[in-house]
Amino acid sequence: MFILKNAWISIKRNKGRNILIGIIILIIACACTITLAIKNTAGDLIDSYKSAYDKEVTISFDRASLMKDFDPSQREERENAREKFDNIASYTISDIESFADSDYIENYYYTYGIGLNGNNIEKAEIESNNEMPNGFGHGKENNMASTDFTLTGYSSLEAMSEFINGTYTMKEITDNAWDIAFDGNYVFINEELANYNNLALNDKIILEDTDENTYELEIIGIFKENEDETQEAMSMFSNSANTIVTNAKAVIDITNSNEDLKATIYPTFIIDSYDNVEKLQTEFYEKGLDENFVLQTNEEIALSGVSSIQNINSFATTFLVITLIIGGIVLFVINMINIRERKYEIGVLRTIGISKFKLTMQFVLELVIVSVVALILGAGIGAVSSKGVSNSLLENEINSSNERTEEIGKNFGGDNMNGGMPNRGNRGEMRGKGMPVVEAYDSIDAVVDIKVLLELLGIGIALVLVSSIASMVSIERFSPLTILKERS
Amino acid sequence: MTNKNYIAKDKLGNNKALEKQREMKDKEIKEKNTTPKNIILSIKNASYRYSDALEDDYALRNVSFDFESGKMYAIRGRSGTGKTTLLSLISGLERCTEGEIIFDGKSLKNMNLDKFRNSDIGIVFQSYNLLPFMTASENIILSMDVSGLKIKNKKEKAIELMEKVGLKESYADRKVLRLSGGEQQRVAIARSLSYNPKMIIADEPTGNLDKQTETEILEIFKKLAHEENKCVIIVTHSQNVCDSVDVIYDLKKVKEESDK
Repeated sequence: MFILKNAWISIKRNKGRNILIGIIILIIACACTITLAIKNTAGDLIDSYKSAYDKEVTISFDRASLMKDFDPSQREERENAREKFDNIASYTISDIESFADSDYIENYYYTYGIGLNGNNIEKAEIESNNEMPNGFGHGKENNMASTDFTLTGYSSLEAMSEFINGTYTMKEITDNAWDIAFDGNYVFINEELANYNNLALNDKIILEDTDENTYELEIIGIFKENEDETQEAMSMFSNSANTIVTNAKAVIDITNSNEDLKATIYPTFIIDSYDNVEKLQTEFYEKGLDENFVLQTNEEIALSGVSSIQNINSFATTFLVITLIIGGIVLFVINMINIRERKYEIGVLRTIGISKFKLTMQFVLELVIVSVVALILGAGIGAVSSKGVSNSLLENEINSSNERTEEIGKNFGGDNMNGGMPNRGNRGEMRGKGMPVVEAYDSIDAVVDIKVLLELLGIGIALVLVSSIASMVSIERFSPLTILKERS
Repeated sequence: MTNKNYIAKDKLGNNKALEKQREMKDKEIKEKNTTPKNIILSIKNASYRYSDALEDDYALRNVSFDFESGKMYAIRGRSGTGKTTLLSLISGLERCTEGEIIFDGKSLKNMNLDKFRNSDIGIVFQSYNLLPFMTASENIILSMDVSGLKIKNKKEKAIELMEKVGLKESYADRKVLRLSGGEQQRVAIARSLSYNPKMIIADEPTGNLDKQTETEILEIFKKLAHEENKCVIIVTHSQNVCDSVDVIYDLKKVKEESDK
């Protein structure tokens, strides 16, 4: 108890020095509070952004591997490469289901595409080249290149990546479109195709395969492709003008009715962690995936949107570290001077029998009392200032996150459209449907929450300990008799 | 024997008698009369060498003294004979490198020296060593706190101690820097008595004081030894102090013997 009393007497006696120490700790506490609040908010934003993207893995053809050591001038090598390319296995939905049966995979979806000709509609003429597909099943048997239309079936909403990433935007949609879109012969068509054939919502189109089997499909939505200027300049119609979007079940039904139809599958697997991709790839190879295919993730894309926030986060961390280092050094030096000035007091107290431990405790206690007051004041000032500071630093990032959220909604036909977007009133539900929705922040709550306070407390303890080292070492080393002799 | 001597000196009360006594004491160096049961502190072949000193360079070598309760002792010697070193060993500020010191039947080697200093002995310095930012009573109360003394009204006790050493109550709340040298030394003595130690060790306690004050301070020490049965050890080179004590230990002689 007398230690506390002595500490209090010493604080009152050394007002000037203690006020100086208090001001330094207050500045450190204030800076740390703001920095920690920014770090917290930035961290939350990054987490939110990351979680907005599922950890996706797709299967891609490994051209680089195939082309390795390939010398196109050698006829033999050209033939070998062609043979290799042609022999790449075609995979079925059951193969995909087999791949998806893995501990690393949380969910999966796919796009299933076939080529069909028009029966009651005409192909919108385009000048673009037919591209070689990247997905499974491409090869000599694939028939899409020679047909009028590509019928693309999505297994679920998550699979509709073109709508998610903004390549397609829904222009018109029926009221119940999203209720029936994934079960039945319903399609979304490009507005260019609709205009070309004078089609509207609820019209029925008939497609036929090369064996002249016909398939009737009802239009429940009309979408638009968002092209870039160069693409527009090169062709009259967009690439997707003859793409008809439907559900995978509808495409499977068509392929089941005609075994000659060869489909292309683009599976996407949602994995638990990017760290498990290599293990998953090995598992896929064991399950029969051709080694000319490799797994690719969307990690780079998922992180690309948060680079500026990450920069601010890094800056905040650096600022915090520098503040703590400089603050720690200044406090250490002040305490060193303090100890030198109070050497005589230490000598007297040691001589009358106060133990080194109790004396050290007294000095630490003095610092703790000053620090606690300064930390509380600093945290208060920091809490008030942090919102404004972090808002101005992170405003752009928040705005772009929110804009992105709005855009995705619009791509699926949200806002001012009859059909609206699926479960658009509830962000959580949208997220559940696989839509990358960034948690919306009306303003940044760079809050000084319990986490920040605990971190601040940790910093305070660390500062007190660091600056107390001077007194601890000095009290341990000082000989009371020597001190008193020097004084005499 | 001791008390008789003391009473005799007191009764004589003139210079001739004092001279006679001084001669007597110088002849004696009176450890021989010590009764073993009264020994409170015993120094047995104590030596001290600084950690950075050469192997044979001792600050103090082979010192053996006994100290009894109820007696006042002077340890004298020229500069460099190890007076202060001996004081630091007795007061537990340093430990002997060789030999041992026994206090009240226990070796200091096995004792908590902080506890020893704040409970068993009181130390008084030439330069008082009071805390200048405290008042006289606060200095005394601090010492009580450090010793863990549990009494209700510490300030009352502090004032009582101050009065015992000749300071008025009104001095209690004065900052020590506003007191004279003699008054500060009285506060220092009162502080050393605050937890009622068995032994008082004083290092040149009158070195900074005038003759009159010196005599008054020595009277206080005498009373503590002879009336309160405390062992008072004064490290000094003042002849006046030596004249006032019961026993004188001469470190010069110890050093000469050990150098042989």
